[in-house]
Amino acid sequence: MNGIAGKMFGWFNSRLPIVNTFERHLSKHPVPSKVNFWYLFGALASVVLIIQIISGIWLIMPYSNTEEQAFSSIEYIMRDVDYGWVIRYMHTTGASMFFAVVYLHMFRGLLYGSYQKPKELVWVFGCAIYLAMMAEGFLGYVLPYGQMSYWGAQVIISLFGAIPYIGESLELWVRGDYYISGITVSRFFALHVVALPLVLIALVFLHLVALHEVGAGNPEGVDIEEHLDEDGVPLDSVPFFPYKVLNALVGIGVFMTVFAIIMFFFPEGGGYFIEMANFEKANPLVTPEHIAPVWYYSPYYAMLRAVPDKLGGLIVMGSAVAILFVVPWLDNSKAASIRYKGVYSKVALALFGISFLTLGYLGTVGVTEVRKTMSIICTFIYFAFFILMPIYTKFEKTKKVPERL
Amino acid sequence: MKLKQKITKIYKPIKFLVIFSLLFSVNNLSSAEGGPCKDYGDCDKFNYSLNDMGSLQSGASTFLNYCYGCHSLQYSRWGRIAKDLQIPEDIFFENLVFDKSIKAGDLMTGAMPEIESAQWFGVAPPDLTLVSRVRGDDWLYSYLRTYYEDSSKQYGVNNLVYPGTAMPNVLAALQGNQKLVCKNIPVIAKNGGEKRDSEGNAITKEKCGFLQVEEGTGTLTKEEFDKVIYDLTNFLVYVGEPSKATRERIGWYVIFYFLIFTALSALLYREYHKDYH
Repeated sequence: MNGIAGKMFGWFNSRLPIVNTFERHLSKHPVPSKVNFWYLFGALASVVLIIQIISGIWLIMPYSNTEEQAFSSIEYIMRDVDYGWVIRYMHTTGASMFFAVVYLHMFRGLLYGSYQKPKELVWVFGCAIYLAMMAEGFLGYVLPYGQMSYWGAQVIISLFGAIPYIGESLELWVRGDYYISGITVSRFFALHVVALPLVLIALVFLHLVALHEVGAGNPEGVDIEEHLDEDGVPLDSVPFFPYKVLNALVGIGVFMTVFAIIMFFFPEGGGYFIEMANFEKANPLVTPEHIAPVWYYSPYYAMLRAVPDKLGGLIVMGSAVAILFVVPWLDNSKAASIRYKGVYSKVALALFGISFLTLGYLGTVGVTEVRKTMSIICTFIYFAFFILMPIYTKFEKTKKVPERL
Repeated sequence: MKLKQKITKIYKPIKFLVIFSLLFSVNNLSSAEGGPCKDYGDCDKFNYSLNDMGSLQSGASTFLNYCYGCHSLQYSRWGRIAKDLQIPEDIFFENLVFDKSIKAGDLMTGAMPEIESAQWFGVAPPDLTLVSRVRGDDWLYSYLRTYYEDSSKQYGVNNLVYPGTAMPNVLAALQGNQKLVCKNIPVIAKNGGEKRDSEGNAITKEKCGFLQVEEGTGTLTKEEFDKVIYDLTNFLVYVGEPSKATRERIGWYVIFYFLIFTALSALLYREYHKDYH
């Protein structure tokens, strides 16, 4: 490179590792040459994260975090702010799509053993991202201060009260008031727009740094580092840029089409993305007929309701998320991918998937005796999948994993 | 790559998407259980038409003449309605805005004091800006047409969709006196046909709960009245989300853009893919 631009670039590059970073993480970063569509959801999650951050910043501008104005400021955004509805629907659709792609991304992890040595930390950071997202989503849902915001927050915050000894004071401390009020809204606003996004971005950074250190996986569970060419580059790999970027771009195109269909034609998602009761301003005197969380929390809500005791429910719900963190140390299988694992693993994963989806459904509908029994059974299957994993992965017969992709 | 492989490659994600969307539709169906329209059973289906200006204008007129006396539209502005419904502002303010001190940018905060109205009706008449989004348009369309005479109630009327509603039937002069009547209806046999006795006469049994308007008591026919309610509901759907028509129009362009984007990136990807296969 010559000329002024080249000189300037040289000046910066000798003071900042521009070329090095580009090569190390993009143009010379090797990724497996053969993966399937399951490997797109990570990229899609980062796209949604960017959508959420940008639409979020624009929502903060007209939003008012006071008890009197929170609800009406949302309607102000929807009506009086030019294209405010685009920004808001982008954010609400984004929230649901974020969870959708992250659930699929996590399922990919279970399907192809993306947590196995040496990718344990990648998985653990991922679980931490999921946990932070759950908190972020909950805090954000309270901000419009509709009926479901209010009563949902009421249910969730009261869970803190179930903790022995410190429960009640903790509940009061989180809420900042004796009941949910403008104080709660404004502190949730601070956490939602500053604290948790910082945590999320930091965790995503760590997730990616750890991933680039150990290398991405593939659906065969083959270790591509075993076969290198004379330059030390894995034979079954291609550079991330431009090959995988282009691959992701196609996925992003399809995903954004789906995103646009939801955002422009079904923004309420049939009451699952934006609940109908939330179009009514929070009213502490009137409890909605049926308090249900948004769909992405409903499996855990079903578990909570399956346990008659409040503290017990809280423990079950907490353990359901906590157990995800230790998956790398539960799997004793020699094979990473479900393709080479034995029949026990396949059955276990299928049952787990079905029970998780069933719990998701049960969490959105009212309780009957049959549904409660189903919730209990599905909760057992959910935990059995993890707790029995060391056993069934150890004793099952695995197929031989191929050498090359 | 062989054609068969190509098809399987495309088919896999599609299969997955289908299963995924089925999952959602199953959820949607089940949410309808429990009968949101209470004693009326299933709500009547309402299909909005937000580009039908005539319907929206007539709905706005009905609302401002019959409803606005008690119900506010506190998040909506006068001038926005005139603009969106393509009513010239002077005509709009001349004919539909009764308080002459109101300006185009004002919110439609209503005419009735909340505390007194709560004493008059037992509850303050709710703001209706978002009613179509809270209750759903099917519910609204059904509710407004299912009032019936019930002397045990404060205003002499009750409602099938919302039993015990505090609102009197404001539109009774248009609709007429609607009553719950009993009818003899044919008994349906298991095979789906009407049951008949040995002489071939249809077997009937009395069933109650049918809505019937006393003839000659209303100024409108049933069809005309249904149209008034259709327009009113259509207007409330519009007020619930004034950008809805724009949203659905722009949506097609955005989807079209992303389809082109997907096609171009797929072509580019295919070109680069040749490097390593």
